[in-house]
Amino acid sequence: MDLLSNFLMDFVKQLQSPTLSFLIGGMLIAAFGSQLQIPESIVKIIVFMLLTKIGLTGGIAIRNSNLTEMILPAAFSALVGILIVFIARFTLAKLPKVRTVDALATGGLFGAVSGSTMAAALTLLEEQNINYEAWAGALYPFMDIPALVTAIVVANLYLNHKKRREAEYASKQEFFGEQQDNRVKIWPIVKESLQGPALSAMLLGLALGLFANPESVYKGFYDPAFRGLLSILMLVMGMEAWSRLGELRKVAHWYVVYSIVAPFVHGLIAFGLGMVAHYATGFSLGGVVVLAVIAASSSDISGPPTLRAGIPSANPSAYIGASTAIGTPIAIGFCIPFFLGLAQTLGAQ
Amino acid sequence: MAKPAKKLVIVTEKILLKKIAQIVEDSGATGYTVVETGGKGSRNIRSSGQPSVSDTTVNIKFEVLTPDRVMAEKIADKVAINFFHDYAGIIYISDAEVLYAHSFCGPEGC
Repeated sequence: MDLLSNFLMDFVKQLQSPTLSFLIGGMLIAAFGSQLQIPESIVKIIVFMLLTKIGLTGGIAIRNSNLTEMILPAAFSALVGILIVFIARFTLAKLPKVRTVDALATGGLFGAVSGSTMAAALTLLEEQNINYEAWAGALYPFMDIPALVTAIVVANLYLNHKKRREAEYASKQEFFGEQQDNRVKIWPIVKESLQGPALSAMLLGLALGLFANPESVYKGFYDPAFRGLLSILMLVMGMEAWSRLGELRKVAHWYVVYSIVAPFVHGLIAFGLGMVAHYATGFSLGGVVVLAVIAASSSDISGPPTLRAGIPSANPSAYIGASTAIGTPIAIGFCIPFFLGLAQTLGAQ
Repeated sequence: MAKPAKKLVIVTEKILLKKIAQIVEDSGATGYTVVETGGKGSRNIRSSGQPSVSDTTVNIKFEVLTPDRVMAEKIADKVAINFFHDYAGIIYISDAEVLYAHSFCGPEGC
């Protein structure tokens, strides 16, 4: 009961917070057919700035912190990333009218991390004065990369297996695919993820924070601009979510169910593992929330192109639609306040 | 004074840019032009995945001038077999006459 009232109060507060209100505002003006456009290049620069700021914060803080504390949460992040793909493989893929490759790509995307969702969670934690480890943002790649790699590897293993079975029936199958090398190579996927715009910005920020003295630009530029830019990005994501809803209508309705339920399930698994780290190594409750939120989030910037290239036969309308149209708004609007409320209730005890 | 050539046009998803550029170069074509473009096709799929609201620049259009039809068809076949099963795309060819070009026409000019 306590949890519920806590959650409801937090939720109403969240609706009024800049993060969520801009998201809803974006959906509304898109629904009314507004002609407002935010140029793609501005969105790119915002993503760069947000993740550089998160990286810088982490890098500056890591200088004087004990990194061995990070080992357990990082291992849990990777575990959750991999687990999410297998959850999709054995739930979503088994549903009627859902193709296995589409389900695996969706699982990969939901396992991967959204930088903007993470930025929203970090902002809210700061607003509520909840402490979290400054390196918590650096858990991002530990979950993102294993999820994408697992999804692509499992999907290709599945496709190869299927192709071999089909080839037993019909030996004349030379037109498509035969001339390609069907072995899945893991390193190119990891490389592509690291080279993606979001991760490379964050890693650059981390390195600069760690090895250089960027405090002056950090205080004068990245930190003050952070929230304003986040609100623009949220507006864009709201508009994008609305425009993708139409695409989602063309695929099986189970994707809608999955993208509502999955963020909570994934977040709860990560929250549970985070609590283990909390009791074992003193991982802060704020950090547990960050871990749960990145598990609940689904990648919207660097994940989709990686998956499109890695699993070409999966239908992008299915996985991008599920993630952008429903998964992300659910993660930002419902999962962040939910896990925050959960952590506050547990912390109060 | 114009040198006859074939103009091969490939419109497809932006994500394939580097791979198609490689195919064109491997075929022996001396160059190509790429423009970012937009439009609507039977698949109506945008694969860039960028949260962009001005979502029109996610297709690319390759224009390749080849001296003969054989080279153009070689490029077209390779692109179609490798990608068009899974990606949106269209390829067409037309006649062209090259008026001025340094390496395409050779040192004597067109």
